[in-house]
Amino acid sequence: MTLAPVEDLAVSGAPVSPRKAAKPPQDRSGYLFILPWFLGMAFTIIPFFASLYLAFTDYNLLNVPNWIGLENFAEMFSDDTWWQSVKVTFVYTFVSVPLSLAAALGVAMLLNRGVRGLPVYRAIFYLPSLLGGSVALVLLWRYIFGLNGIVNAFLGFFGVEKIGWTSDPDYALTTLIILHIWTFGSPMVIFLAGLKQIPAMYYEAAAIDGATKWQQFRKITLPLLSPIIFFNLIQSLISSFQTFTQGFIFSGGKGGPANSTMFYNLYLYKQGFEQFHMGYASAMAWMLLIIIAAFTGLNFLMAKRWVHYDN
Amino acid sequence: MISRRDMLRTAGLTGLGLAVAACGRGFGGGGSEAASGKIELNMVWWGDAFRAQKTQAALDLFMKANPGITIKTEYQDSGPYKDKLATRFAAGNPPDLMMMRMDSLREYADRKSLLNLNDHPGIVDTANLSQAAVNLTKVGDAVYGIPSGLNAIGFIVNKTITDQYGVTIPDGATWTWQDLAKFAKEVTDKSGKKVYGTLVDPATLANLVVYVSQQGEDLFTADGKFGVSEATLTAWFQMFEDMRKEGGFPPAGFVETTGSSPDQSYIAKGSVASQIIPSNGLLGYNKVAGGNLVLLGIPGEATAKRRGTNIGTPALWSIAASSKHPKEALRLLNFLINDVEANKAMGTTRGVPASTVVADAIKPTMEKDDQVATDYLIGLQKQTLVAVPPYPKGASGIQDELTAVAPEVEHGRLTPAEAAKKVIEAATKALSQ
Repeated sequence: MTLAPVEDLAVSGAPVSPRKAAKPPQDRSGYLFILPWFLGMAFTIIPFFASLYLAFTDYNLLNVPNWIGLENFAEMFSDDTWWQSVKVTFVYTFVSVPLSLAAALGVAMLLNRGVRGLPVYRAIFYLPSLLGGSVALVLLWRYIFGLNGIVNAFLGFFGVEKIGWTSDPDYALTTLIILHIWTFGSPMVIFLAGLKQIPAMYYEAAAIDGATKWQQFRKITLPLLSPIIFFNLIQSLISSFQTFTQGFIFSGGKGGPANSTMFYNLYLYKQGFEQFHMGYASAMAWMLLIIIAAFTGLNFLMAKRWVHYDN
Repeated sequence: MISRRDMLRTAGLTGLGLAVAACGRGFGGGGSEAASGKIELNMVWWGDAFRAQKTQAALDLFMKANPGITIKTEYQDSGPYKDKLATRFAAGNPPDLMMMRMDSLREYADRKSLLNLNDHPGIVDTANLSQAAVNLTKVGDAVYGIPSGLNAIGFIVNKTITDQYGVTIPDGATWTWQDLAKFAKEVTDKSGKKVYGTLVDPATLANLVVYVSQQGEDLFTADGKFGVSEATLTAWFQMFEDMRKEGGFPPAGFVETTGSSPDQSYIAKGSVASQIIPSNGLLGYNKVAGGNLVLLGIPGEATAKRRGTNIGTPALWSIAASSKHPKEALRLLNFLINDVEANKAMGTTRGVPASTVVADAIKPTMEKDDQVATDYLIGLQKQTLVAVPPYPKGASGIQDELTAVAPEVEHGRLTPAEAAKKVIEAATKALSQ
């Protein structure tokens, strides 16, 4: 049996006027409403293919691009700064993402225990992630971690010598990682929503059977929350690979000290707009796409082992 | 008697008249021409609101004198400016008149994106520019703009601090780098490390250039290669590490990336006693540092193999090769360079005017610090200096490498010799691309 078209069902019973059947006005207004999306897509798709083409050229912004094949991609592997930018981005991602997700889950569980004024706490914890990539916050962070900032003053009480949190190449990335961990608000809110979905009776039953809190967490919370954890992991990984603002503002656009905060996208930007290597920058962008796709794909493969769905 | 300049001016005006007439009839017109036959020029530059206000005052004078021309300006910070300019060229929509960074000049010029002023003689009058100023505009034989304002680096010392601790400021015309080290150590010692004697950024190319020239080497050779020897670069890094060890220079990690404006400088905070600044910054630095700064020359100038200090400009006024109204843009350029009233209106927001006649004429209207800086610059232009050719393509890669290795030397992860090697490697690579 074939299903009747939706609009036939909608008007069934009512007499169908020919004009209405030809073009219901709400359809037209519907197109109007999605027009911005179509326009937006054009602004996405055209640059998308343009950058794919430019990745294989020596485009320098001012002259007509020449096709150079895979040269840009080959160049990356012999470019020390490119490797440095990959290293910085990987270290940043693989340290800060697990830690920020752990912090998000921890706080979400605390908030899930029926505290009074939950919306207020939720807002407070969410706030940093709204501001995380903002210029003002990164500047504030620089100030807090400055040589004469609050952090060094605090450590000074314990006799720790002043640390160049922002000016020492050994510490600058750490400072940015701490900033990233602190902005765990958006995964936290999603975790909170997930935790609310877990029926309380599971815990009651487990408690009656004598399960400890840790066992309840391991055997009930984690498995039931695993699709949410998976979602947050993918989201955080992707956005972390694309970090730009923090590195740009923190180092005054230089990726310093000593390239220690030279994020992949920051280097890409410098190549494209400061060195006029737009072809190379495009190739870098596509390489990043490949890297992100590879990690996301890997995650989906591994997810089969630890993500439990309800059905 | 008619001077050469008057002849040129007349020729220029005639040319312009023809051009305007041609445009009025619809020839050679462009998209930006309004129906009334008015011409709109787009002019872009970087800077702050204060500079915007001063620039607009000058442009108002121009528009009053040229009723057929309106000027639309845009400005922003130097960082975003660079990106935006590149993007506009890429989009085929370059501005008519623009401020062109010296380190980007060849990126644009070598790709034929800028108007060669030699192709349009007689409109822009360069008769009153010193040789040093003219040298800045040339790429080979072509001329791609006029300095928007002249500049040189100078050394400032906070006399309030040296007086407080009883340290004598050396003679700024004859002191050497050793004198600087001795002076700096004395300040640090006598202040009990409350104030460090000096702070010179080893990663700033403009600072390095002076030292390199003093050693008899050129930053770039005539054929566009990196001309600095490993020994010179090593000595450059070593000099500051030695000062750091002795105490005159702040310890590793002291300098944090902050903005480059005077009020964010360490001399404004009173934590260092001396530093290098661009000479047109004297007024600004003096305002935030307590008003008792002394302007000295760069160390080593009198004793080195040859002069290191040079006349520079942060930017040129350039015209896009594809401008639809090159004649009008040239005329505006001439106005900005040679008109005394225009320069009075603009003040020294971009440095000392390139025209020595204009510089002399507006000097009495300046504030005292600007007068000091102007005298310093006029004095320099009368001396024999070593010309630095415009930075070749890829030169920004050298600055990037310097920025990267300097903190590594500072924190002892690279020896000065290793850093020198890395810079030379990176420079050779960047310039060969």
